[in-house]
Amino acid sequence: MIRALFSAGSGMNAQQMSIDNIANNLANANTVGFKMRRTQFQDLIYQNYIQPGAAAGSQTVVPAGLQLGLGTRPVSNEVIFTQGSFQETDNPLDLVIQGRGFFQVRLPSGEVAYTRAGEFQLDRDGNIVTSTGDPIEPQITIPPQAQSITIGSDGTVSYTQPGQTASQVAGQIQLANFANPAGLNSLGTGLFTPTDASGDPTVGLPGGQEGLGTLQQGYVEQSNVSVVEEFINMIVSQRAYEANSKVVKAADEMYQDVNNISQ
Amino acid sequence: MDNLMSAAASGMKAQMESLEMLANNVANTGTVGFKSDREFYNLYTSPDASAAAADGFHPDASTLPVIERQWTDFSQGTLLPTGNPLDLALTGPGFFVVKSAAGPLYTRNGNFQLSKEGQLETQQGYAVEDDKGQPIQLDPAQRVDISADGVVRQQGQEIAQIAVVDFSKISGLAKRDGTYFQIDSNVVAPNPAKDTQVKQATLENSNVPAAEAAVRLVGVLRQFEMLQRAVSLGTQMDKSIQDIAKVTS
Repeated sequence: MIRALFSAGSGMNAQQMSIDNIANNLANANTVGFKMRRTQFQDLIYQNYIQPGAAAGSQTVVPAGLQLGLGTRPVSNEVIFTQGSFQETDNPLDLVIQGRGFFQVRLPSGEVAYTRAGEFQLDRDGNIVTSTGDPIEPQITIPPQAQSITIGSDGTVSYTQPGQTASQVAGQIQLANFANPAGLNSLGTGLFTPTDASGDPTVGLPGGQEGLGTLQQGYVEQSNVSVVEEFINMIVSQRAYEANSKVVKAADEMYQDVNNISQ
Repeated sequence: MDNLMSAAASGMKAQMESLEMLANNVANTGTVGFKSDREFYNLYTSPDASAAAADGFHPDASTLPVIERQWTDFSQGTLLPTGNPLDLALTGPGFFVVKSAAGPLYTRNGNFQLSKEGQLETQQGYAVEDDKGQPIQLDPAQRVDISADGVVRQQGQEIAQIAVVDFSKISGLAKRDGTYFQIDSNVVAPNPAKDTQVKQATLENSNVPAAEAAVRLVGVLRQFEMLQRAVSLGTQMDKSIQDIAKVTS
């Protein structure tokens, strides 16, 4: 009886976490480079009353035992790295990756983090930095007098000096990829760091053999959150929460009935 | 306790177990690959009574309603498109085979991922087996294509064939946590599943029917109330008998 209460309670807990996750996805529906997360649940251990296959008599065995489950728990909310839609901005430092790669940025701590948000800017020293000011890795510097910045699909950053027709190469952007991107650790502000689950990064040039993807200048990648899908998930989670609360109520009423027997 | 009371009490216990099973089903309405449990009621006959029946006596044996066992409803859950190429769903009977420390486990939860070595594995880190019982090694940088017959291809090259097995007697499977099943009696053995298709970028949602669960919840609750009334009635009758039999001093 108490088991029913806790099983239904675990279901309410899980659905609540699902709603929390949906809220975060929806809140970031317009965040550039944001990747949605999806909550996964799994059932808990089963209490064996009668072991399946146990002897029921000298000749027969129980064909299927009696196992009572103890509810559910959220097991993971993995990041879904599908491609978001592209939006044209005409800003020469806005980049999208058409493929599976990540930009590398150097954090103030010296650690390298990975992001899909290609909204870059120049800092006062002419370094290409993210909107939070972290420089891209390897560092690329554009002199202040540069006229136009061109970034090729292979990541080559070039610019022209005033009065010159030939363009000069400032550097080449490198991309990284992971065996299991879903295992990356989210730092917030669109940044990810590798974990034991994601594996070590494979670094390469855009358009290369590693399948990291090519770059496209003048576009940003929108989040991959589908608002319609999130709303549907929200309805499902809300109804499931309600159903679990009904079970709690039923268990409570039955318990009350038991207490009323001895009157 | 007389027959009425013990039968009603046994019924109440069975209804409670029904509710516990229902609670677990409802809690897992969002669990990918979950299969709902249903109960089998039976009548319990005491060993003495069945021995007497074997000798030709048919006493007014006390039989009690009990939940003898549960059966798992292996019907297809609804398919959920996810867009993730490593999410697989099965249409038709069958299970994926994964390797755990405790031997092979079977699951319909195809929410797979790549390990950092590039092996296809479940969220718990169990390797997904191919038809030869080997783990499936993929190149993480390349796109993965899995066709309906379970063949895994990368860049047009055939890498492996995902094992999909079925059982002649599916009731010999016992549930483990994490939507896994394990063979629990030696009467069943896995065979390659026939006509079962693998769908890429799709997950199979739990097959708990939410509306039916609500109806059954009301049913359990009302039956439990009726049994409780029966017990109360029994108590009253006992009391009446005691009142009649009271010897006035």
